[in-house]
Amino acid sequence: MTQLIWLHEDCLRATHRLFTETASADTAKPVFIWDDAYMSAMHYGLKRRVFIYESLCELPVDIYVGDTIETLRDLHSQWGVDEIVTGKTPNQALKAMMQNLRAEVKLSAIADAPFVQMDSPPDLRRFFKYWNKAKKKAFLYDGRP
Amino acid sequence: MSHGETFAATGFHRAARYLGYMEKQPTQFPDRAALVAHVKALSPGVTDDAVSETRGGRAAAEALLAAIDPTAYGHNRNYLDGAVTRLSPYIRHAIVSLNELRNQALEMGDVKAIEKFIQELGWRDFWQRIYTQNPDWLWHDIEPYKTGFVASDYADTLPQDIAAGETDSAAMNHFIQELKTSGYLHNHARMYLAAYIVHWRRVKWQAGARFFLGHLLDGDPASNNFSFQWVASTFANKPYFFNLENLQKFAGMQAPCDFHTNKCFGGSYDDLALTLFPHMAAL
Repeated sequence: MTQLIWLHEDCLRATHRLFTETASADTAKPVFIWDDAYMSAMHYGLKRRVFIYESLCELPVDIYVGDTIETLRDLHSQWGVDEIVTGKTPNQALKAMMQNLRAEVKLSAIADAPFVQMDSPPDLRRFFKYWNKAKKKAFLYDGRP
Repeated sequence: MSHGETFAATGFHRAARYLGYMEKQPTQFPDRAALVAHVKALSPGVTDDAVSETRGGRAAAEALLAAIDPTAYGHNRNYLDGAVTRLSPYIRHAIVSLNELRNQALEMGDVKAIEKFIQELGWRDFWQRIYTQNPDWLWHDIEPYKTGFVASDYADTLPQDIAAGETDSAAMNHFIQELKTSGYLHNHARMYLAAYIVHWRRVKWQAGARFFLGHLLDGDPASNNFSFQWVASTFANKPYFFNLENLQKFAGMQAPCDFHTNKCFGGSYDDLALTLFPHMAAL
């Protein structure tokens, strides 16, 4: 199965599960789409853009310029990709792109290793409500017993 | 399909786009200036020319990881010259994960000594969880202001003197220039500047949040905006503010904090509350 790894700005690490849980390097093609319109919408100036580009230069990824959805859609088609795999994120703009792509292609989002693994959702109304629950795991290696 | 057929089939713009992303972008440059020039060429709408000295990439992150001191962090993190890690831009883009940073800290000291360090990592996790659960909160007031004012009492846009770093406060100007040139501010400096924008200048937190996101290398929609809401009191039980004594204690060695160039922060907390929040009964 040919997988296309869509690396976005919320998963710029070679040990992210996005890389470690995908198929062999022969079939998984990592790409980053340099999307000027997206970065402008995120209010990113030159400082941030240079930081991201420098980070990409150390990763096993090919950088393409263009609209994210259109570029991924075309790469998917031209490379005969079976599935796009990307990093899970709360970023609404990226989630909207994922949703858009899912209408046409198979796409999976893989979460990074969690900070804490909780059995049930924490109360998020105030930090200390969350922390009183999270701290039971936060001081454990990998955030779990 | 040949390029000619693409032209014929879909027109010039489609063909230009096709040709453009068939071309992989370079990842090796003779020097940093060449990389910066390339990024500028890919960013036609960006007018800000500042580039931070902070380098992107895992190698730079690992150098910082090797130098963390979670125990010292617990003692002096609130001072602008405290033992903070400067890893935040790398955490922001998952170049370093919270999990690996916590795991490394656990190997460096007993749990009590590193408690504050790990709790601060928890803040990042907390904000990300809130964003995941309540994406609509990102740019909207989660709760009303608890300042005696309503949202419409606050200006929509950032005043030009703040954007330019030309306010009446030398300390705030120092922080603004640092933000704009380095893309980094110590967390306490962020709180000072955010409070100044929202409470002293009565500007909506959203305007301040946009300003920060435009410059911070670690600017994260969730951490940045919800922290602003915490300062503003739209996600806290009371507004965060400070006085000159506090500013001098924690920032006095790094920023110009004398009274004559920072008069607006002078006085006790009670005095300042009366000035900043005149419609509030008591904090």
